[in-house]
Amino acid sequence: MIGRTASERAYSRNGVLFALPWLIGFSAFFAYPILASLYFSFCNFDGVRPPQWIGLGNYRELFLEDDLFFKSLGNTLFMVAFGVPTSICFGLGIALLLNQKVKGMAIYRTVYYLPSITPVVATSILWLWLLNPQAGLINLALQHLGVANPPGWLTDPAWAKPGLILMGVWGAGGGMVIYLAALQNVPAALYEAAALDGAGMVSQFRNVTLPMITPVILFNLIMGLIGSFQYFTEAYVMTHGGPEDATLFYSLHLFNKAFFDFRMGYASAMAWVLFLVTLACAVAVFKSSIKWVYYGGDLR
Amino acid sequence: MKRLTLWIGLIAIAGCGRVHTEGPVEVVYWTGWSGDEFKIQKQLVEKFNSTHPHIRVRIVCQFGNAGYEKVRIAIAGNATPDVMSTVWADELAGYAKRGVLLPLDELMARSGRSLEKEFTPGLRKSLRIDGKVYALAVTTNTSFIVYNKQIFRELGLDPDRPPRTVEELDRASDASVSMRKDGAIQRFGYVPNNLLTWVYVFGGRWYDPKADRVTANDPRNVAALKWMADYYRRFDSQAVRRFQSTFGNDATAQMPFFQGLISMWATGEWASAFLKRYAPDIEYGYFPLPIPKGGNPETTYCNGSVFVIPKASRHVREAWEFLNWLTSPEQVAYFCSKIGNVPPLLEVGDDPAFLSDPIMRFAVRLTRSEKAVGPPPIAIWPTYTREIARAEEAVLAGRRDPKVVLDNLQARMEKEYRRSKAELGQ
Repeated sequence: MIGRTASERAYSRNGVLFALPWLIGFSAFFAYPILASLYFSFCNFDGVRPPQWIGLGNYRELFLEDDLFFKSLGNTLFMVAFGVPTSICFGLGIALLLNQKVKGMAIYRTVYYLPSITPVVATSILWLWLLNPQAGLINLALQHLGVANPPGWLTDPAWAKPGLILMGVWGAGGGMVIYLAALQNVPAALYEAAALDGAGMVSQFRNVTLPMITPVILFNLIMGLIGSFQYFTEAYVMTHGGPEDATLFYSLHLFNKAFFDFRMGYASAMAWVLFLVTLACAVAVFKSSIKWVYYGGDLR
Repeated sequence: MKRLTLWIGLIAIAGCGRVHTEGPVEVVYWTGWSGDEFKIQKQLVEKFNSTHPHIRVRIVCQFGNAGYEKVRIAIAGNATPDVMSTVWADELAGYAKRGVLLPLDELMARSGRSLEKEFTPGLRKSLRIDGKVYALAVTTNTSFIVYNKQIFRELGLDPDRPPRTVEELDRASDASVSMRKDGAIQRFGYVPNNLLTWVYVFGGRWYDPKADRVTANDPRNVAALKWMADYYRRFDSQAVRRFQSTFGNDATAQMPFFQGLISMWATGEWASAFLKRYAPDIEYGYFPLPIPKGGNPETTYCNGSVFVIPKASRHVREAWEFLNWLTSPEQVAYFCSKIGNVPPLLEVGDDPAFLSDPIMRFAVRLTRSEKAVGPPPIAIWPTYTREIARAEEAVLAGRRDPKVVLDNLQARMEKEYRRSKAELGQ
């Protein structure tokens, strides 16, 4: 504050005033609820009557007594471990195909992007029928291809999560657009130089394309990670956690605790555990990214 | 000068909220009904408003499950409406025992209303919690089985003598099954589900009010689940599940019963309207859930949404005036006849308009049975019902042993019930 002129002070005051609506909104609707949920996680709180402090009671029950805690965390980790890489591969694959110079490319790009702007609930209802084991198009196609016993998908505990991942691939267009933008930013000069050095298609992809778009892959990886840890809507709409808890994802279990069982405190504790797990994964990915992400101009 | 005008403007805006305007009292009513049912509720509200100039009811549609979940948040934030029907009978005990609902006994006595004299038995039991009435209803429901007489005739079964015992149901169902060449099921009889209700049919129960304890592993409960599991054991359980997954919604022409894919359909009073609309050519009959030896004949489980007045209501007197009017015979008769639901009022059930439709007449009879049950008055019931459904699935799909699964359910619910009672200070 020392040595500032009146006009400087007025300038920063106006700045704060302009930012005030956001600051108020952030504190009231973001910071406060987050801190409150931390407090509630140490309480017996039914969401209706005042919370009572019970210390680590919720966390103890979560880790030691709730058999669905590990089951649901496992289900969610399955989606993270298999769903995220699958959608990255498909998103990138489609982007590479759509980066070719073919007539009518704008139409193809629109078509592939379209699923990702469809509301999740609508998509879910549609896929409920596509994945239907007896009357669904996917199994009818598989039968035509000679698969005698196509999977039971959402009726079979072993196939329910793969079914949901398959559905996720259909929406890979969202990531595709970002890859496409990154692909078009790779300088043509690099490809020319690589071609002069005798690099073929595969070699160009591995040594030019891939390193140049790693920042975007990192972005999609982190976003995919966060999204998958919160995997909820599809299971809420399509399976309600069944069959036999195979799609009881962590968020769905949390939701049940909060809204069926009147256990907001317990659900808050679950939310904080999820936050810490997600944070740990995100930090690990960021740490590892030093080794594999290449920002233009850096030396590797 | 500019600044002064601004201040005056701000004060004027702030003052608006506090100005007491003469005129009707506004009663906010949250309804869980949507679509056509919402439209009819709205008509009723308009009728009330035009005949009660000192009150203006504002109806707000809280569509879908989100509306029911919003209730908790509204109560926590002390921002409830004055009347709401966004509470399932299932949840009523949980709210009542938390002390957030207004007991209606005094208001009812003052208006000359009586739960015992006016309402059907199943509802009566579930609207009263710990000796006090916490809700009223404008609809009730029941479950029974509708069967296809043509299929019965083809199979050599007497189309005019539907199954009365579970053994007869088993025989009729098994006779109906036909398979495709690839092992998939083409037609089935009755696909058992809804353990919650079947337990009552088998003479079992989920909660013992005298001993105040949960009774998930009552031997009759185990017998009911065993009986259901046998259906899946007699056939390939994956095939049954695959077949079930093709079932369309009850409210569409894709419903398997309308397509002739099942010979028996566990349904409710709405069946009549749907059959007329989607399958007018099917020759059908209906029968109450068949019983085993020693079971409860004509058992039915009544759930459904109920009307409550939250304690936080700002206009209790006006809210009650509206609720009293809405649950009066004339309005209940209008609403139930329009949407094809069973009226919960005994007087309305006697109305010739309801008795003209045979299925409705049958449904009215079932809801009047003293055997009709409602949700037990325990706060954990919503959790309990979810866990019952999981246990059912673990046995039917996962082929786990019924006794083991229900013993496990018993242990978990006992613990949950203890925890809930301690939390509620009971």
